[in-house]
Amino acid sequence: MKKLALALVATMASSVCAMAAADVAKSPPAAPYQQVSKLVKLPDFLPGMGQLFVDPATLPAGPFLAYDHDGKLVSTIYMLPIKDLNPDTRFDNLAAPGGNVDHVDVYYNAGHPGVDVPHAHVVLWHVPVADQARVAK
Amino acid sequence: MTRTRREILGTGGGLAAFLSLFPLAAWASAVVDIRMQGSGDGSHVWFDPIGILIKPGQTVRWINLDSGNSHTTTAYNPANFHRPRRMPEAAKPWDSDYLLPSESFSVTFTEQGVYDYYCIPHEHAGMVGRIVVGEPQAHEWTELAGANGGLPEEALRAFPAVEDIMAKEIVRRHDYQQQGEP
Repeated sequence: MKKLALALVATMASSVCAMAAADVAKSPPAAPYQQVSKLVKLPDFLPGMGQLFVDPATLPAGPFLAYDHDGKLVSTIYMLPIKDLNPDTRFDNLAAPGGNVDHVDVYYNAGHPGVDVPHAHVVLWHVPVADQARVAK
Repeated sequence: MTRTRREILGTGGGLAAFLSLFPLAAWASAVVDIRMQGSGDGSHVWFDPIGILIKPGQTVRWINLDSGNSHTTTAYNPANFHRPRRMPEAAKPWDSDYLLPSESFSVTFTEQGVYDYYCIPHEHAGMVGRIVVGEPQAHEWTELAGANGGLPEEALRAFPAVEDIMAKEIVRRHDYQQQGEP
């Protein structure tokens, strides 16, 4: 009985994740997500990342949802200020609505409007490495 | 000093190619260009050149050649977000606001002196620059160098020395880094 309950919970959780992923799979994602280039003055399509959407209430960490030129979700990006990577600050329970993750990139960014301090980009790619070219430029 | 409205440049790539055709030493003309640049992944950002010597009356034009980021050129002055004054008191401060790729912004400098400026979203990454106009008196930039309140270490380390600018007229970012000077 206990196993059955666990299986049911796991199935429900999986379904919720699948539904969440479906909600954001195509651009534009539903509110509260908003187009980053309409929130701050940045190019609408960022080479290497794509077209970004974010819930402003989650800044600076995000998640930022990144779409290719066809409006297909390619990655979920978290932006973590370097100064906040210290013993007194945590980033817990960040939303991850994008579904399956193929691989992860982590790299330094000097800053940009919206997150105007040096920070780390943690990129959950939902597409294979070869498909990153879809947002290269 | 006069500030001009931002301009949209039709072809950023073409402009970059155009600029590269002209040696920096030829910038004795009325308008001097400073490029706002960044690496592809946004890990590095910079003004190039980072230090220039110009004559009173010359115009400086900043051009954003970074396809993946916005930049500003903003004078260190209390009028700009209460930042410390690092420019001649008699001169008017400037702030370009965010420039998208291929946009530009120009300022004409008439007051002799040393002018320090920064990029708002990238000051903490050391994206700053220095312009020397004419032949300022030594005490002017000694006082200016003391106005460090609130500037991040990365910015303070990045300024080229006034003496270097006076000697070379144009200080490129990479040239300066190789010297290892603060």
